[in-house]
Amino acid sequence: MRWLLILAVLPLPVTAQYTLYAAMATTKNYVVGTPLPPSGIFLKSADGQWRHAGYNHPFITALDYSISDPATLYASAGNGLLRITGHGERWKILTGSEVTELRDLAVDPNAAGTIYFGHSAGIAVTHDGGATWQDISAGLRRKYTEAIRVDRRRSGVLLAGMEQGVFRSEDGGKSWKLAGAAGFQVMHIEQSPHDACFWLASTQGGGLFASRDCGVSFESNGNLGVGQNIYDIAFDPALPDRIAVAGWGCGVAVSKDGGKTWVARNSGLPRTDVWSVIFDPAKRDRIYASVQEEALYVSDNAGETWTKDGLEGSMVLRMKFVPDPVRK
Amino acid sequence: MRRLFALFLLLSLSAYGETPAFEQRVRSVIDLYAHPRDPARLGYMAIAAKLWLHEDVKSPSQQLEQLLASGPSGDMFWMFQVIPIAYLDRGQLPESSRKALRRAWKTYMPYRGDTENHWLLYYTCLYLAAQMWPDESGEQWFTGKSSEENLRESKEWIESWVRLTTTRGQGEYDSPHYMGVYMLPMSYLAAWAKDPAMKKRASMMLDYLIADYAAENLDGIYVGAHSRVYDRQAVEKWANISSDFGWVLFGLGRPMSPVTDSFTAAYLLASAYEPPEILRHIATDRSQPYTHYERKRTRHRWRFYDEQDGQVYKTTYVRREYAVGSDQGGILQPIQQHSWDVTWAVPDPRGVQNTLFTIQPYSSIRELQTFFTMAPDSAVDAVVRSKKSYDSPDKLVGGSPYEKIFQDQDSVIVLYDIPVGTRFPHINGFFSKDLTALSEDASGWIFARGGDALIACRPLQPYIWKPIEGGGKRMFSPYLKNGMIVQVAAASEYADMDAFRRAILALPLEMKIEPVPEVRFRSLRGRAMEFIYGQTPRVDGRALDYAHWPLFGGPFVEAEVDSERLVLKYGKMRRTLDFRTLRVTDLGAVP
Repeated sequence: MRWLLILAVLPLPVTAQYTLYAAMATTKNYVVGTPLPPSGIFLKSADGQWRHAGYNHPFITALDYSISDPATLYASAGNGLLRITGHGERWKILTGSEVTELRDLAVDPNAAGTIYFGHSAGIAVTHDGGATWQDISAGLRRKYTEAIRVDRRRSGVLLAGMEQGVFRSEDGGKSWKLAGAAGFQVMHIEQSPHDACFWLASTQGGGLFASRDCGVSFESNGNLGVGQNIYDIAFDPALPDRIAVAGWGCGVAVSKDGGKTWVARNSGLPRTDVWSVIFDPAKRDRIYASVQEEALYVSDNAGETWTKDGLEGSMVLRMKFVPDPVRK
Repeated sequence: MRRLFALFLLLSLSAYGETPAFEQRVRSVIDLYAHPRDPARLGYMAIAAKLWLHEDVKSPSQQLEQLLASGPSGDMFWMFQVIPIAYLDRGQLPESSRKALRRAWKTYMPYRGDTENHWLLYYTCLYLAAQMWPDESGEQWFTGKSSEENLRESKEWIESWVRLTTTRGQGEYDSPHYMGVYMLPMSYLAAWAKDPAMKKRASMMLDYLIADYAAENLDGIYVGAHSRVYDRQAVEKWANISSDFGWVLFGLGRPMSPVTDSFTAAYLLASAYEPPEILRHIATDRSQPYTHYERKRTRHRWRFYDEQDGQVYKTTYVRREYAVGSDQGGILQPIQQHSWDVTWAVPDPRGVQNTLFTIQPYSSIRELQTFFTMAPDSAVDAVVRSKKSYDSPDKLVGGSPYEKIFQDQDSVIVLYDIPVGTRFPHINGFFSKDLTALSEDASGWIFARGGDALIACRPLQPYIWKPIEGGGKRMFSPYLKNGMIVQVAAASEYADMDAFRRAILALPLEMKIEPVPEVRFRSLRGRAMEFIYGQTPRVDGRALDYAHWPLFGGPFVEAEVDSERLVLKYGKMRRTLDFRTLRVTDLGAVP
């Protein structure tokens, strides 16, 4: 009985629960100068419905959170780096007039308060949760940064997707070195959740580039997406060798062998112009894909078939499954 | 009734060629705004105009609350419309309206935008809002920042913009449409900023911006190269907001039907700054031909260049009968660049297409990705939704990387070297319906008359004519190595068109196409012009000195790069604006 009482006051270990966040803009039939249709952050509720959270904003490109505080979300946006709390409702712009049109961000899991973001004219970092920022792109000739990732194994190891390829820094951005995809505008970079030394980078026109040496160098990963543009990469958190990519013209492609071969998974999608893709960490084989100005689509068989899942007329630039706070 | 009276006043006076005094012009525009055709559809600016006039505000305040309740939209364009309401309120609005207006700055997040004018509007309005509602926490603002933080951030950016403009020029320069969106924020700050330095800086910037326009206007029409212009307005130059400002500020030309643009109204609702006498002279005295020079910046280039801001070198020749203006060519701005033209004066410009120019209709993802962060696959579609001609081979607006321009006084040489595989591999020339006496000479020259301007054009390659919807014709020349030589003169300089023709045909001219287009031409003004595509142009044997190109140069306006100092000149009059000390010095008297 005494043990039961003790158990009753301890946090109960529960199966991880997640909320899906979508950074999107409703662009179908939208013309600059007319009222903006619902855009910004959308959350998928437990009942499966989408809820628009916080402000209407046309320009949110990516989301991230600290594993130590998933209730606080960070977003790269047109107006700056946003800190979002209250289930998406409370926003604060953490940056000022020194940056604009943020493209991507990465919270360093090994350094509390450290957040990196890439923007139209460089890369910036904070080490104090956004109170102060420093530019760390001085060592880069061309500054435009579409993608930024921090190696989850070691603080200060960065990979940046630039106009002229993937650049790597091992000293928190003090110095940079070309790591691959030379000459290509890099669109996205991801690190495998299963093998920290396996990275993929997607490009504008050059297809995928892979690194199997912990992000030191990137080599072409074959013909997928060559001549097209690949906008997103998703590693399946459940299956180490399963990867999905989203692109324009190629739609959704899925690999079951760690990127060696790819199968197009577009059956049921209204078009093959796809912005983003993500695996559901709580439901095996479930995958979401954002089809240009059509809707968000969901598949429960890893892309073999698709059904519409709301957010009609949108372009979802990035999705993120965020762990719900542990229930006590 | 008041609307009718204001309209009657404006139309009757302009019909008789009389211009009401500045105060009357101001009052008439605000009267028109305060009394829209449909009183039930009062917009923000009409409400502000009623507050300016101290009219009964019961119905406007209800309308204001309804507008705010229905949800603001328009981002910084919403901000600039509600700030005058906040500042012109002066105790007239009921508390409920005031609270609703204040609340909107917490519940609505305007997008800061991606363009110079967007940021100036955003930060000016945020500055004035933070000043209006001080000492409030971040919880009360859409930014999540306190009043003090908002004020400081806005102040710093506005000051940096003034510094950049007075050292390197505007990026969104000399736009006959968007000039209004630079005038109105400075008018707001000049009227409503409490900080004396900010107030002074803004009023000095009004002189600066007005001078920029005054030296390059012809009867109110903004001439010369522009960073941005819309399709219709590129050919019907009067139909621009600059015409409203020309009329309001100087009584020049014809306002649009009459003044209907909200930028001008906003300017007047705030400071309604009347330019000093020296600016009036600069804007109106066309007794002597002159060449005016300017250096500006490109829009911020995010990709493909090592330098974020490139240089723009402008030359504008102005005389009573016409103006010729240009930049150096290339892509300096996305989508709406207007690189060169001839504009001739007309007694009544309404409906008149009093201009001539050529372009290479360039459209590319590369251009868009240079200046925008757009994804490559949706960029063109997104642009074409609002700038419909962008991806059209028939368009008449936009710069090209394959166009290089050289101007000396009223002579222009434009050269094209278009790579094989370019999306629209041809050049378009705009030949207006309002040109007269157009003839294609056996020599290869085309002669025409626009008002009192005699125009000679010499295409480097064969062409055909294509009709333009709405009038005029388009010169279409599908040759990749191409060009055009243009020489203009005043009708008063020649006995007749035939005399002009003979003078042109007597000018030495050498043209080559290979390996790149090349022209050697002695102008009517006796200058030896040499231009080889891709090389620095030479006049009388000397290369143009781009390195020492002034921020402003000419008889009326002078400023050196990086000086933060502008000198206005007219006769013995001098007005010096020193932005480092925030001091204005006036010398001399009207000659």
